[in-house]
Amino acid sequence: MGQVEAHSAPGAQRAVDDAVPEPALIEAAHVTAGYDNRREHTRLIALRDVSLQVRRGEFLAIVGPSGCGKTTFINLIAGFVKPIEGSVRVRGSEVTGPGADRAMVFQDYALLPWRTVERNIRFAMENRRGHVPKSEQAGRVAQALELVGLTGFEKSYPHELSGGMRQRVGIARALVTEPEILLMDEPFGAVDAMTREAMQAELEKIIAETRQTVVFITHSIDEAILLADRIVVISKRPGTIREVIDVDLPRPRFDEQADVQRSPRFGEIRSHLWSLLADEALGAKQEGASR
Amino acid sequence: MTETIQGAARTNDQQIESIHVSRFAPLKNVAITVVNLAVFFVIWELVARAEVINALFFPRATEMFAALFNGFADGTIWPQLSHSLTNFLIGLAISAVIGIPVGLLMGASRVADLILSPYVWAMTSLPRVALIPLLILIMGFGNSMQLTIIVLSAVFPIMVNCMAGVKTVEPSLVRAGEVFGASRPQIYLKVILPYTLPFVISGVNQGIARGLVGMLIGELLGGGGNGLGFLLDKAGEQFDAPMLYATLILLAVMSVGLVQAMRWLEQHAAPWRDISRA
Repeated sequence: MGQVEAHSAPGAQRAVDDAVPEPALIEAAHVTAGYDNRREHTRLIALRDVSLQVRRGEFLAIVGPSGCGKTTFINLIAGFVKPIEGSVRVRGSEVTGPGADRAMVFQDYALLPWRTVERNIRFAMENRRGHVPKSEQAGRVAQALELVGLTGFEKSYPHELSGGMRQRVGIARALVTEPEILLMDEPFGAVDAMTREAMQAELEKIIAETRQTVVFITHSIDEAILLADRIVVISKRPGTIREVIDVDLPRPRFDEQADVQRSPRFGEIRSHLWSLLADEALGAKQEGASR
Repeated sequence: MTETIQGAARTNDQQIESIHVSRFAPLKNVAITVVNLAVFFVIWELVARAEVINALFFPRATEMFAALFNGFADGTIWPQLSHSLTNFLIGLAISAVIGIPVGLLMGASRVADLILSPYVWAMTSLPRVALIPLLILIMGFGNSMQLTIIVLSAVFPIMVNCMAGVKTVEPSLVRAGEVFGASRPQIYLKVILPYTLPFVISGVNQGIARGLVGMLIGELLGGGGNGLGFLLDKAGEQFDAPMLYATLILLAVMSVGLVQAMRWLEQHAAPWRDISRA
């Protein structure tokens, strides 16, 4: 993947590099966002006064109870949702809509069922924005498929693949244009537990190679700790940032020798996150019961 | 990639093995159908011969076949059949040409939906027969009236299905289109239209069913002196039961043929549909 490395060379100091303060790649400042219900004349506030910076090359995980506005946050960065107040900036310029510098991996894969694996990946390169010359496309598809370990499945249709394999296609499609930012909305939420672990390990490896900046939403505390450089805990609706936790565990974390999952530090972070989220989860339950 | 990950990935693969299927397997279904129909006609023949039911209403199967054969031989059936078939296919084509774009527009544009839907739903639910007196008044007895009733019968189910298709497009697919750089027209062309294709086909399917009804009531009540409906009408007036049944059989064959053709088209146009829904 020489191409990928050459492209993202500036992000090479991926790990937290305090010596050279770099301007944030993604910057959310006092963002309040929500959805209007015009029929009932109400507005549901999903996020309130959220300020957050994501550094170049960082892997940021967002955890929180269901309906806390995690997805809204990622949709703000993607440009699907506009903030009611505050601003979201990428490389200093305000996000006004989707852009070629940001790709997304969807929880339900969002593959076009009538297209083969290969043509699904080409989809990212053949449109108006982010267009890649035809002569280059085949090589890029092959590279992306190799990266996610799906070489040989070019001609398969999504319905012929398992959930885990479909999501690999989703990841390959997102990476094929070498975007700076990879947005992942519970990408492994719909795959089974075994596959999930394998996919996490693979994602760590892929990102180590391609050095994308990743914003990753998850329900799983373990997943967040294993993958992220930093974890943002969001409280229940309206979502506000409860705490930001630095995950100072060594990488690669899926190395069997390192056995990060049994390290005392992993346990500490885990129980801390648990205590934060248990409040939220219980709070949400009580609210649900009183409804 | 390490061995373990590779291994984990491989267990997910759907291993497809070939199994032995007899070369005659497809023929088996055909054979069953042939036997089934043969038994049906034999029982028909026997019941008719036993004269349990008045022969005036219930001729023998052999008489029906004779009427069918003679009708084709002496040229009474074919002109009517071809009239009906031509009319029907032209009507269906007009319905598709109008119904598909309008339905897609209604699905895509809230304004178009708001403006058109009261009329479309009224016309979809209104029994077609109610329109006959008005159409005769406007167009008289004849071909244009018959064609109009076919179009009015078929166009609305096609429209409604196309609209529903566009509205049920999965939002995440549209988002994927936006994320991966598609412009609005590209999203329509590459995401929404292919997604809607099976709905278009099932709309046309319903259009066929409704259009056939429209065709018959146009020919039966319109009194144009043409078509299979006219043949039915005439046979009924002349107490010609074998001819009556022969025409019904023709109609059945025609509709089954059309529906089967559409089913074939549906499977080949959207093979992913059944499986992804399963």
